[in-house]
Amino acid sequence: MAMDVGIHIEHLTRVEGHGDIFFNSKEGKVEKVQWHVTEAPRFFEAMVRGKSYVHLQPITSRICGICSIGHSLASLKATEAALGVQVSEETVLLRRLALHGENMQSHILHIGYLVAPDLFGVGSVFPMVATHKDAVLKIVGLHRLANFMSDLVCGRTTHPITLRLGGFSKVPADRELTDLKSRLEAAKPVISEVAGLLASVKGGIPDFNRETEYVGLVDDKLYALYDGAIGSTDTGEHPVNFYKSITNEYVVPQSTAKYTKHSRDSYFVGALARFNLNESKLSDFGRETAEVLGMKAPIHNPFMNTYAQMVEVADSVQDSIHIIDELLACGIKGDKAEVKVKAGRGISAVEVPRGILFHDYTIDSIGNCTKANCIIPTNQNHASIQQDMEAIGPSLVERPEKDIELTLEMLVRAYDPCISCSTHYAKVHFV
Amino acid sequence: MRTMDPDSWKGFLDRLIEEPKLDVVGVKEKGGRFVFAPLDDANELRLDYDVTILPPKKELLPPNEDLLLFDISKPFNVLAAHDDRKKVLVGVHPYDMIAINMMDEVYLGTHVDDHYESRRRNTLIIASDILNVPPKAFCGSLGTHRVESGYDLLVTQFDDRYVVVEGTPEGAELLERFAETKEASDYDIERVEKLRDELPARYERQLLVDKYKWSEILEENYEHPIWEENARKCLTCGTCTLVCPTCVCYDVHDEVELDLERGKRTRTWDGCLLKEFTLVGSGEIFRETPTNRYRHRYYRKGMYLPMRYGFVACVGCGRCSTQCLADIADPLEVMNVLASSSMEDKKKLPIPEVKVHGVKQELLVPKAAEIIHKEHMTDIDTMYKIRLDSGQALGHRPGQFIELSIFGIGEAPISIASSPGTGPEFDLLVRKIGDVTSKLDTLALGDKVGIRGPLGNGFNVEALKGRNLLYIGGGCGLAPLRSLINHSMENRKEFKHITILYGCKDPSALLFRNDMQSWGSMADVDFKVTVDTCQSGDCWEGNVGVITTLIPGVDIDPDTTMAIVVGPPVMYKYVIRELKEKGLQDENIIVSLERRMKCGVGKCGHCQINGVYVCLEGPVFNYADIKELPEAF
Amino acid sequence: MKPKVAFFDFASCEGCQLQVVNLEEKILDLVDIVQVVSFREAMKEHSDDYDIAFVEGSIMRPMDEERLKNIRSNARILVALGACACIGGVNKLRNKWSVAEVKAEVYGDAAIEGNPYFDVLPTRAVDEVVAVDAYIPGCPINKNELAKVVTSLAVGRKPTLPNYPVCVECKKNENVCVFEMGQFCLGPITRAGCNSICPNNGEGCDGCRGFLEDLRVNAMKDVLRRYSVSMDQMMKRFNLYNFKREGY
Repeated sequence: MAMDVGIHIEHLTRVEGHGDIFFNSKEGKVEKVQWHVTEAPRFFEAMVRGKSYVHLQPITSRICGICSIGHSLASLKATEAALGVQVSEETVLLRRLALHGENMQSHILHIGYLVAPDLFGVGSVFPMVATHKDAVLKIVGLHRLANFMSDLVCGRTTHPITLRLGGFSKVPADRELTDLKSRLEAAKPVISEVAGLLASVKGGIPDFNRETEYVGLVDDKLYALYDGAIGSTDTGEHPVNFYKSITNEYVVPQSTAKYTKHSRDSYFVGALARFNLNESKLSDFGRETAEVLGMKAPIHNPFMNTYAQMVEVADSVQDSIHIIDELLACGIKGDKAEVKVKAGRGISAVEVPRGILFHDYTIDSIGNCTKANCIIPTNQNHASIQQDMEAIGPSLVERPEKDIELTLEMLVRAYDPCISCSTHYAKVHFV
Repeated sequence: MRTMDPDSWKGFLDRLIEEPKLDVVGVKEKGGRFVFAPLDDANELRLDYDVTILPPKKELLPPNEDLLLFDISKPFNVLAAHDDRKKVLVGVHPYDMIAINMMDEVYLGTHVDDHYESRRRNTLIIASDILNVPPKAFCGSLGTHRVESGYDLLVTQFDDRYVVVEGTPEGAELLERFAETKEASDYDIERVEKLRDELPARYERQLLVDKYKWSEILEENYEHPIWEENARKCLTCGTCTLVCPTCVCYDVHDEVELDLERGKRTRTWDGCLLKEFTLVGSGEIFRETPTNRYRHRYYRKGMYLPMRYGFVACVGCGRCSTQCLADIADPLEVMNVLASSSMEDKKKLPIPEVKVHGVKQELLVPKAAEIIHKEHMTDIDTMYKIRLDSGQALGHRPGQFIELSIFGIGEAPISIASSPGTGPEFDLLVRKIGDVTSKLDTLALGDKVGIRGPLGNGFNVEALKGRNLLYIGGGCGLAPLRSLINHSMENRKEFKHITILYGCKDPSALLFRNDMQSWGSMADVDFKVTVDTCQSGDCWEGNVGVITTLIPGVDIDPDTTMAIVVGPPVMYKYVIRELKEKGLQDENIIVSLERRMKCGVGKCGHCQINGVYVCLEGPVFNYADIKELPEAF
Repeated sequence: MKPKVAFFDFASCEGCQLQVVNLEEKILDLVDIVQVVSFREAMKEHSDDYDIAFVEGSIMRPMDEERLKNIRSNARILVALGACACIGGVNKLRNKWSVAEVKAEVYGDAAIEGNPYFDVLPTRAVDEVVAVDAYIPGCPINKNELAKVVTSLAVGRKPTLPNYPVCVECKKNENVCVFEMGQFCLGPITRAGCNSICPNNGEGCDGCRGFLEDLRVNAMKDVLRRYSVSMDQMMKRFNLYNFKREGY
């Protein structure tokens, strides 16, 4: 018996930032299902307007509390591209290490604190302390390790300090990297256990598939996070400088965040996109973990984004160990590349936990930023979330209201959206 | 004197480093400068350094140090924290060694600080002669370029040899256990002397005045314009005091873990340049202006400490002047300016005699005590009767104070409001103004607190015998006064006529109403009370007016009367003026002053009035002794 | 009676709330001594019955102002969490331009008039809208300071912040002064409590914790002149987190 359903979920919980979900159906037919982004826009491009190139990284870092390392690196890369600064091999290795730390920290947070409660039927991680204390402590321990790693390389995980144009203001000592490596090795069995636990509750993941375009960084050899070209499962590889032809931002009234589209009405960025594009580049440990989770590319179920993140946690740990070995082989020197002020434009792309991030700066001859554009991964996912909701809507109509709510919430959560970042605001031209 | 060739010296160091029960801390390079840090390898040691960023005082008095560990989930569970690790400090320059000797006098003198004592005892010092001189130092002018004692070993590094002098039996033992040495030759002895003799000339900067004249010069120049001129540029950032080898003031905090059980009391470095150094619970800051704070540091180093301990507390290391961003911290520059100036106005700064009185207990660990009675006197004042768990009497003199601990919150100084004659219980009158006093207000009978004391000098009861006594109490100043008043009542025959004047804000602020009644009813006691203001309907039929209004009406013989005055800071000036009108001499006026008191035993530095420690020389003072002190009133 | 605690966020990067999660194992102690009744980022449950509200982020729109006033009326104690809430932080950088300018540049011709989501006013810190009982400054906050504030409130003690400059902590950490390395640093006028984390890592202080109440601004300007820091450089650094602060 079809019911009339009217659902308004205000300020969705267990996501970063503010968004609402609407679902209305009448006599068994979906009338409206909508994802509303209501976050206050912060106008970051107005903030960097006229600022010296030395301040672009600290300001854009504040776009996001969880991906601040990613934003910092994207910002530095774009500025370096604009000024023609070449960083050393060592700097790239350390930056990749920093990014792994962030990926691990963010993914563990998402898996353990934001999504797991849904899979275990509770409202938050706090009651799980009583029922699944061991698992919670493992998650917390992994989170702490990820933070430890970011603290070591960046000085601080949220709003990093040591990341600087041309190099690092302070580098870890060889002894400290050796210690980090042993901690990462010790974490591998814990990660396998957590993966096993996730596999055991996989039944709670809705069986929903919608084939779409997946976009992320790609590279010949690495599971690309720090550097690469733009890859699309539909159209192949594209140079980073042509990012606008991929993103095509536009404003919609129900969202303070803009939407994007490329070869279809929407595309997907994030761990699942990276997995679909780069599965062949996973390390052994990453591949092993994917097997435990029963995952093989391509996967078109957006709810599986969380599981792809688990695979990435394992891969990041393994790759970090390789990076440390490389760094220790030469010994850390603390390279600093020369930075000279000149006019220029630089575009960068970096994978942050939630997907591909673009920073685009134009800098004048005295080093002030005259134009800036940042395209946030979650921006690029809003349209995909909307499309998914419209696709899954009809199958939910007969279900109890509680189920509809939970499924729609889980759908948005699976994307691990970073809503406040996506409302920072975009294209500004100033002189 | 012994010698080692470079390889033997390295072997000696490496053997020390390998020794598991020994931490070896020596001078290393850091970011182009030098620091004392744990040595992993003998090759890291840099005896050719000029000066370290922080002096080695940080090894004996760490920037953050645990004093007590406690568990606040239990009624009274407190332990002294201690660090018994054995340490060898390598590379201490003579000026820093001299500074450590000074620090020993402060922390191991009269009242021994157990934490410092333990660390000092467990640290062996290998001093080393100066090889390179930093640009701003002036050790040559102060004679601190060489040191004769205090070290366990003293090493002089030459390219081909290390010459070692044994300073103590412990130093000799260290050499015997870990080193292979030879007897020093005459040549070695000579060249060590030569190195030291040539040092003074290598200092670019010279003092124009002998350090033993600093006290005199400072005494005459309290109002010199340089203080304000420089203070205008002062950031009051505290850098000068933090990097100084003879600055040893500290602050104390309580911390509790998130489990609300484990906690600790820690001490951290503090500096008199910082604004809140003299802040008390009521919000008053006693050394408020940057000029006063800037000037105080020079006076402490150049006058107050020399008068108290006999040493000039500057060793010319140049750290303060190098690291001061505003470039105003250089004692050499300031003293040279003062030495060549001629100020018309000679202002004498009298520092009262240092009166040593022993504290018969462990200094920093409070004793367990229980609240056995609690009575609200006003909205904000409560009287507590406390009894030590040991059952013993506090053993105090009237006018002394205690430091009351509520673990996890902190410690506050409170005057003892009862006379010594009341047995094992004593009274505290507590005004609710800060963290500790507010928390105390929520405690109930049977709850435990920590007590340290009695502290301070207390009233000199002997000097009051056979005299007429004029007690003047303002507000909660009546509390410490009460301890003396009641003592004089209990020993009535020892004193002649007693007059008690008490004033407070308004009728609702009256304290000790029961005592007031009994005092008022005594035949040989004149008791007068007044309130500043009174609203109609307050049921007050007594005097209205500030306390000074009571004084003219009192009939006293100035030659045989002692006035004892205790009240809020603002009261003293006016009351004393009235007393002088009555013909009272300065030395017949006794006051009790309040400042910020943390340690209570003259070490943390917060309670200083110029060079006087309120917790040691006070809180009771003879007005004659301190009337000239600029910071007193 | 465990105090009931709630976390709220406005216009922010949510990095400060993340520091709550970064307490790691200590978060288990935290939820033992207080009852977290609302924490949108981590919990589904929500209740309007709370004693202590932690508020992160700046106030941008009338709808935000309303929500904040509601929180103020529900809470006995309101704690401003992080630079955006305490002093406006980077969010205030756009106050340099008028709201009309900013909206026009960012949204162009898009039809946003009358839409309350886009109804933006100059950025304000929390205490510019409602009374604040305690502050935890910094960008992001120092999680140890958060723990201290929570334990202070739990044992019944007024939380206090250091009133001395970052230099005190920096010197205790024995850093080579940033000025000596050819950079400059706002440490001498910025409130301590972060354990001088930026100088520890070779970077000068940007003043994210807010300036001291009694800042020696003229003395600081003298120092910067001595070290040849241009007025332009100076103001840009001052303005990063402390835009439009009084006193200079």
